[in-house]
Amino acid sequence: MNENNIIEIRDLSIEFKLRSGTIRAVDHVSLDIPKGKVTALVGESGSGKSTLASAILNIVSAPGTIKNGSIFLNGEDILRYNANRLRHYRWSDVSMVFQAAQNALNPVMRIGEQMIETVLAHKKMGKPEIIEKASQLLDYVRLEPGRVLKAYPHELSGGMKQRVMIAFSLLLDPQLVILDEPTTALDVITQDYIFDILLKVHKEMNITMLLLSHDISVVARVADRIGVMYAGKIVELGETFEMFENAKHPYTAGLIQAAPSILDDVSENKSIKGSSPNLLNLPTGCAFHPRCEFSTDLCKLEQPRAISVGKDRLAACHLNEKGEMLA
Amino acid sequence: MTLVIVLKRIGMAFVTVCLATVMTFILLRLTPGNAIDGWARDYATQFGITLEEAYRRIAAMINYNPNEPLHEQFIRYISGLLQGNLGVSMVYQQITVNSIIANAMPWTIFVATISLLISFVIGMLLGVRMAWKRNSILEPSVSLFTVITSAIPDFIFAILLLVVFAYGLDWFPVNGAYDPFVTPGFNIDFIVSVLYYAAMPILTFVITNIGGWALMMKGNAVSILGEDYIIAAKARGISDSVIMNRYVMKNAMLPMITMLAVTFGGMLGGATLIENIFQYPGIGYFLGEATRTRDYTVMQGIMLFLSVTMIVANLIADLVYSKLDPRIKVEG
Repeated sequence: MNENNIIEIRDLSIEFKLRSGTIRAVDHVSLDIPKGKVTALVGESGSGKSTLASAILNIVSAPGTIKNGSIFLNGEDILRYNANRLRHYRWSDVSMVFQAAQNALNPVMRIGEQMIETVLAHKKMGKPEIIEKASQLLDYVRLEPGRVLKAYPHELSGGMKQRVMIAFSLLLDPQLVILDEPTTALDVITQDYIFDILLKVHKEMNITMLLLSHDISVVARVADRIGVMYAGKIVELGETFEMFENAKHPYTAGLIQAAPSILDDVSENKSIKGSSPNLLNLPTGCAFHPRCEFSTDLCKLEQPRAISVGKDRLAACHLNEKGEMLA
Repeated sequence: MTLVIVLKRIGMAFVTVCLATVMTFILLRLTPGNAIDGWARDYATQFGITLEEAYRRIAAMINYNPNEPLHEQFIRYISGLLQGNLGVSMVYQQITVNSIIANAMPWTIFVATISLLISFVIGMLLGVRMAWKRNSILEPSVSLFTVITSAIPDFIFAILLLVVFAYGLDWFPVNGAYDPFVTPGFNIDFIVSVLYYAAMPILTFVITNIGGWALMMKGNAVSILGEDYIIAAKARGISDSVIMNRYVMKNAMLPMITMLAVTFGGMLGGATLIENIFQYPGIGYFLGEATRTRDYTVMQGIMLFLSVTMIVANLIADLVYSKLDPRIKVEG
C-alpha cells in the first residue's frame, strides 16, 4: 500500500446476472486514488464507472455482485468489513454526490433532519453543533442555511439540491468524495457554477475527489488524473495534461477529438464511429476493435493488457506494445 | 393549507351529505313494502277485519298516513333532520332512531377502530418485511393467506369462528356485547368483559383485512425500495432499521392513508352481516333488523348516519394526508 493513496482498488470485477445472461460491468479493474488530487473516470454510459464508484461504498445494487477483487482503505479491505464497520465507514470515510442527486433525499423529511440523522448515525454530537456545522457547509456552497435546513427536498431547485448534496457529502469530513456525474440534468450555467464550488472545495478544504463523467472537456478542467473506461475496463490512465497532449489509446484520442471547444472550428471535431458495445455480447479480443481505425488482426484475437507507457501512465492497446505511438 | 381551502373542503363534504340524504330517502321509498304493510296484514287476520280497515285503525293509532304524498313526507323528514331528529321507529313507536344510533354506534366504532388499527399495523409491518427480504418464507405464506382470506367472505369466517371457538371450545361467548351480570361503567370488570365479548368480531375483521393491507404495503414498499434516496441513505451509513422505518415505511404508508378512511367507512356499513352473526348490538345489527322488518325510518336514519361517517372519514383523510406528505398541498 502506497501511503499517498487513499483508496487502492485491486483486480475488481462486478457482475450482473440478468435473465439474458451475465454482464461484467467492471472487469478486473485496478485503480489508485491518490490523496489530495482529483481523479476522474471518463467513459460513455454503460462503461462501468458508476458501478465501480458504488463498489467503493459497497452499495452495488442488486442484481449486481462483486465477484472478486479488493478495495483497500489504509491497508484494510473494505469489502471484508462486517456490517457495523461498513456502516461506519460509509460517509465518514468516503461520501458521494449521486448522479441522481435530485432524488437522493428522502422526500418526507426536512433537509436539516436528514443531516442531523446522518451525523447521529456516526457519532454523538449535540443538535445545535450539527446545525452549526451544516449551516457553515451550506453557506460554503452559497445557500441560505436558515431556509434550506427547514426546506423539504421538493421545495428546492435542481441546482440547489445538487449544492445541498455537496454540502451533505462534506458533513462528516470524509477523506474522499465521489462525484458521480455531478452536473447532469443541470443547465450549462448551473453546471459551471457547481464546478466552481467543487474546485473551491477541493482547493480550500483539500478534499480528495473521484469525479465520474462522460464529458472529457469538463473533466479536463478539474481533474489531475484521468482514467478512461471502456466496456468495464480502464483502457488508459494518466495525468490529465499528458493525456491530452499525447493519448496512448485510440478511444481516448477519439474522445478528445470529439469534444467541441470554443476556440476550434467545429468541423475539426470528429465523432467516434459506431456505438457503445453490447455488454452481453462483447467483441472478441479488444472490445474497442470494431470502432477502432487502427485495428489489426491481433486486436480481434487477443485482449490487450494494460502496460506502462510512461511515468504513472497505463494503456491497454496493442499499438503500444509494437512501439507505434499514436500521433 | 389556508383556512379558505379547509372551509371549501368542508363545504363540499356538506353538499355530499345533502345528496346522500336525498338519495337514501328516495331509494328507500322506491323499494316495495314497508313496516306498516306487514303490521296491517297481521292486524287484519288477528281481528278478522279488512286490510283497509286495519290500515285505517293503525293510521289512527300511530299517526301514520299511508297516502301522504312523497314530497310532504320528505319535507316532514327534512324538517325533523334540521332539528337533529331522525324520527321514530315505525315498528317500535316509542323508540327514536336517534336513541338506536346513539346506543349502537359506540359498539360498532369500538370494534371497527380496534380491528382496523390491529390489521393495519400488522399488515404494514408484514408488508415492509416482505418487501425488504424478498426471498424469505414470509412472502409466499402471506400471499397464500391473503388469497384464502379474501376469497372466502368475511361472514363465513365469522360463522367458522363462532362454531369453533364459541360453540365448540366454549372459549368465547356466543352473543352480546358484555356480560349482563357486570355493571356497565368505567370499571375493570366491565372493560375486560367488553373486550372479551368483542374478541370474536374483532378477530373476524382482522383476519379478513390483514392480507389486503400487507400486500398493498408490500407493493408500495417494493417501489420505494427502488428509489434513489434509499441507496443514498445506505451510502450515508444510516442503519437498516432506520431506513426501513423512517424511509420505506413512511413513504410507502402515505398512499394507504386514504384507503384507511375508506375502509373504516366500509367497515361500519359492512358490519351488518358479522354483527348479526355474533348478535353484537352495533349499528349493523340494527340496520339488519330494520331491513328485515322494512322499518323505513330506522333504515334511512342509519344509512344517513353511515354516509355522514364515511364522508367525514374521507374529509379527515384528505386533511391528514396533506399534513403527512409535505409534497401534497390541499388544493381547492
